[in-house]
Amino acid sequence: MNPEEIGRLVRGGTRREFMGGLGLAGAAALLAACGGSKSASGSSATSGSTTTVTPTGGDLAIYSWPDYFVEKNLKMFEKSSGVNINISTYSDNGVLFSKLNSPAGSGFDLAIPTSGWIPQMAEKGLLEKLDHEKVPFDTIEPSLLDKNYDPNNEYSIPKDYGVMGVIYDPAATGGEVKTWQDFIDAGYKSGVSGKVGLSSSGWETVGAAIWAEGGDWNTTDTAVIEAGGEVMKEFAKNVKTFNTYDPNSLANGTLVLSQCNQSTARSAILLNKKLKFVVPGPTSEIWVDNYVIPAGAPDQDNAYAFLEFQLEPDNQVTETEEIGYPTAVKGLETLLPKSTEERALIFGGENVDLSNLTAFVVNPETIQLYDKLQNEIQAAA
Amino acid sequence: VSTVRIRKSDGHPGGVRWGAHLLAAAPITWLAVLFLVPLGFTVVFAFGHPTFGGVSTGFTLANFKESLSGLLLTVFLRTLRFAAMGTVLCLAVAVPIAYFAARKAGRYRTVLLVVLLVPYLTSFLLRILSWQILMAPGGQIQDVLNFLHLHHGTLNLLYTQTAVFIGIVYAYLPIAIIPMFVAFERVPNEAIEASKDLGAGRLRTFWHVSLRLARPGLATSTLLVFVPMTGEVVIPQVLGGGRGLLMGGLISSEYLTSQNYAVGSAMAVLVLAILVCAVALLSRLTRGFDEVPA
Repeated sequence: MNPEEIGRLVRGGTRREFMGGLGLAGAAALLAACGGSKSASGSSATSGSTTTVTPTGGDLAIYSWPDYFVEKNLKMFEKSSGVNINISTYSDNGVLFSKLNSPAGSGFDLAIPTSGWIPQMAEKGLLEKLDHEKVPFDTIEPSLLDKNYDPNNEYSIPKDYGVMGVIYDPAATGGEVKTWQDFIDAGYKSGVSGKVGLSSSGWETVGAAIWAEGGDWNTTDTAVIEAGGEVMKEFAKNVKTFNTYDPNSLANGTLVLSQCNQSTARSAILLNKKLKFVVPGPTSEIWVDNYVIPAGAPDQDNAYAFLEFQLEPDNQVTETEEIGYPTAVKGLETLLPKSTEERALIFGGENVDLSNLTAFVVNPETIQLYDKLQNEIQAAA
Repeated sequence: VSTVRIRKSDGHPGGVRWGAHLLAAAPITWLAVLFLVPLGFTVVFAFGHPTFGGVSTGFTLANFKESLSGLLLTVFLRTLRFAAMGTVLCLAVAVPIAYFAARKAGRYRTVLLVVLLVPYLTSFLLRILSWQILMAPGGQIQDVLNFLHLHHGTLNLLYTQTAVFIGIVYAYLPIAIIPMFVAFERVPNEAIEASKDLGAGRLRTFWHVSLRLARPGLATSTLLVFVPMTGEVVIPQVLGGGRGLLMGGLISSEYLTSQNYAVGSAMAVLVLAILVCAVALLSRLTRGFDEVPA
């Protein structure tokens, strides 16, 4: 074992321990749960023969969610291109938006906002229009392209996606959770109340109540949002935490019912097989994280070169396996090894119908109301 | 007790004073650029008209009205209670440690101080996140308490008020200890000997002599701990699960989620105004004992 490998193991080990307990990203816990990295599969991948952009060395500054890339892939790209990658992280789309919206945000070449924030970023002129000739769109799942938040993918390229669901311990809830109304009702039961997790985003907490009534969370009807807020303020007394990214607190019973994305749920279920994950009806959230090039990015050619490398199917599969979210590569279902543990959960579970789910789009007219309601809900908990 | 102050008749030549002015200029410029200018922006924003992710300048009191109409007041009072409680707990732990380090540790004093401060070279977030692992059900704190028969079974500590206060005391401890360490160190031995000669026991000597003479340290610690606690965001989130909203969380969500810099600024200005009054009052109360015996 060479020193570099040892270094990687040591680093990986500490990060796993930390991230697993911390819930900054379910990804790391997933790694731990999988019992080590299955890093062999992508080893033959190098820059393909269809290179349209030749990197000229230099730097690539990425602004990203924490632990959102596969270390091995980054190394491989750095080696083949001579480009030096620097990653800074944020933990919130609001932080990303504020930073790109200020002088402090200049100097990034690539960022990864969630779908709903892209229209506002584009409107503010914070994003470069993409040069479609430099992006291998043909490797990307068509159903994730040309969406309402970015028609014709003028500004964004999907990286991966996730769904909002509910993870629960059937022994505690005493029955199945199938709808958002079931989720709300179950929260009040003794043995469940006080052990419930809710999202820290207003549109996701209030969204649960709106969905339970069959409503649309992108509505501009403030009465609908207010009514949902009232339901969740009442519900707040059942809540233990607004941190829903920690698989350990789900696995060890600190929480027995929680809103949760499928990646965190999968990590928790790998730790505790009694838990169940469902995307409740009648509808729920789908989010897509997208690569964008911030306006005035200094090393755009490097960004395109990196995107081309990143979007190669082999690398996309490795990323799915190691990060735990389904990447946007076309045909991922068939590319992903059959042996992957809790494989269906990567895609949101057996019976999830993605076409039935909606993405939240940030609207300056309603986001403040959602935020105010979230504050009131957290204050009431 | 006689007091010694810095004497003006020390006979420094004029050149040294110029040098001192020059030395002072650096931090003053630093403060002006990195503190006063942003503060100025905040005040201007507070009176402007909000746009999503921006402010158009103008003069309106609407932001203040909106700030005061919502949760601000309740959350502010809760934050004050929280910070007061946190400060009391923090000082209760810090006083004995500072006293021991200053007067009893002898030649191990430096070692003790280093041991106290070294963990603070690691990232703040990592340290708080480590507490999350320790406090979790099945975590090390549970193991230790079970082993000592102080607790039985699963420990329900994470995401409670207790967890938040443990984190708060831990995080602010060194800031509380250092000023008091300095103050205790300066308490003259003669005063303590005199107290003992006059028949006071250890506790009485500590209470009536050491602690009295260390009041400036106590006041400084209180201020240094209380003020940042009112803006604490991370610890209530990570160890308290975000329940029971505090001021820092309210203002940061106004900036980051609502992207309403105007209302966020108005809230910040209101809180700042109240805190400035509180600090002014406190420093006035402590003015009488700012001379430390040499």
